[in-house]
Amino acid sequence: MAKQAQFKEKSDKWDVQLRKGTLELVILAALKDRKLYGLELLKLLQSFETMKITEGTLYPLMDRLKREDLVSAVWHNEGETRPRKYYQLTIQGEKKLVVLTSRWRQSVNDIAYLIQHPGPQAIQLKETNKPRGDSNV
Amino acid sequence: MSDHDLIHNYSKSLTKYLARLEKTDAEEVIREIESHIYDAMELQEQEGSQSSAQSILDGFGEPRDLANRYVEHILKGTPPPKGFRAIQSVKKGMTKSLYYSMGLFGFGIGFGLIIVGLAKLFMPDMVGLWYAAEGNSVIFGIYDSAYQNSEELLGYWFIPIAITLGLGVARLTKRVLGVLKTNL
Repeated sequence: MAKQAQFKEKSDKWDVQLRKGTLELVILAALKDRKLYGLELLKLLQSFETMKITEGTLYPLMDRLKREDLVSAVWHNEGETRPRKYYQLTIQGEKKLVVLTSRWRQSVNDIAYLIQHPGPQAIQLKETNKPRGDSNV
Repeated sequence: MSDHDLIHNYSKSLTKYLARLEKTDAEEVIREIESHIYDAMELQEQEGSQSSAQSILDGFGEPRDLANRYVEHILKGTPPPKGFRAIQSVKKGMTKSLYYSMGLFGFGIGFGLIIVGLAKLFMPDMVGLWYAAEGNSVIFGIYDSAYQNSEELLGYWFIPIAITLGLGVARLTKRVLGVLKTNL
């Protein structure tokens, strides 16, 4: 039991690290072709098992993405509701999303290839610049 | 403490820690966070649970930690602001003038020393290094009349020493200019 708990704790840590590295891509992807305000975005991400971030992570990150001109933000006052700050991708944000998406897919492909080709057979080394045929994930 | 007081205290504390930001930026951060908290409390009620400001504030973390995330770019360096190119061209202009004045200064001293050294060959009595006023003064260069009670120190050694020093200063200047050129 103790071992299982330890293993769970370690995989949680791994999740945190993975989330850290992919959060920018996650947010850009979530905002693709839609406008969302903070709470909406947070609830959307929290509905996925591996993307449960907190308010304290989301808002400063949105502030950084805005400063880097990857997202823009506009205050909207809809009817009776209080004003909400809506975020959407800028042209630069869209371009960055394309680049990050391609790197993400490449990375998933590479990892999948390694997982699918265990030893003891020698693995055929790949020429990194040559795109592989099976690039869709 | 009521929810309203909790939120008010949190905002107040956060405002204090956001002091490094522009006032309007800090106000916008607070406005967005307050809007989020009230929205999230409404959502909790809609979902049929008791609204709790504290649980939402827990998601934001301590005001100090949250503020640090907003200001860390100021402490660590920001992406270049608009108008950065203009600043760069001013810097470039300054670097250029620093480069040329450094060159003029260094080579001027170097060649000056070499010329004074060579001058000793033609005017041995007027060129040299003197020790005068019982050690209170040292005179170096070309003088048409030596100080009273002064003593010339180097004699003809003055020539190789001045030329070597001159070449050394010129060489050093060249190296400094090289460093300036690659690093500025």
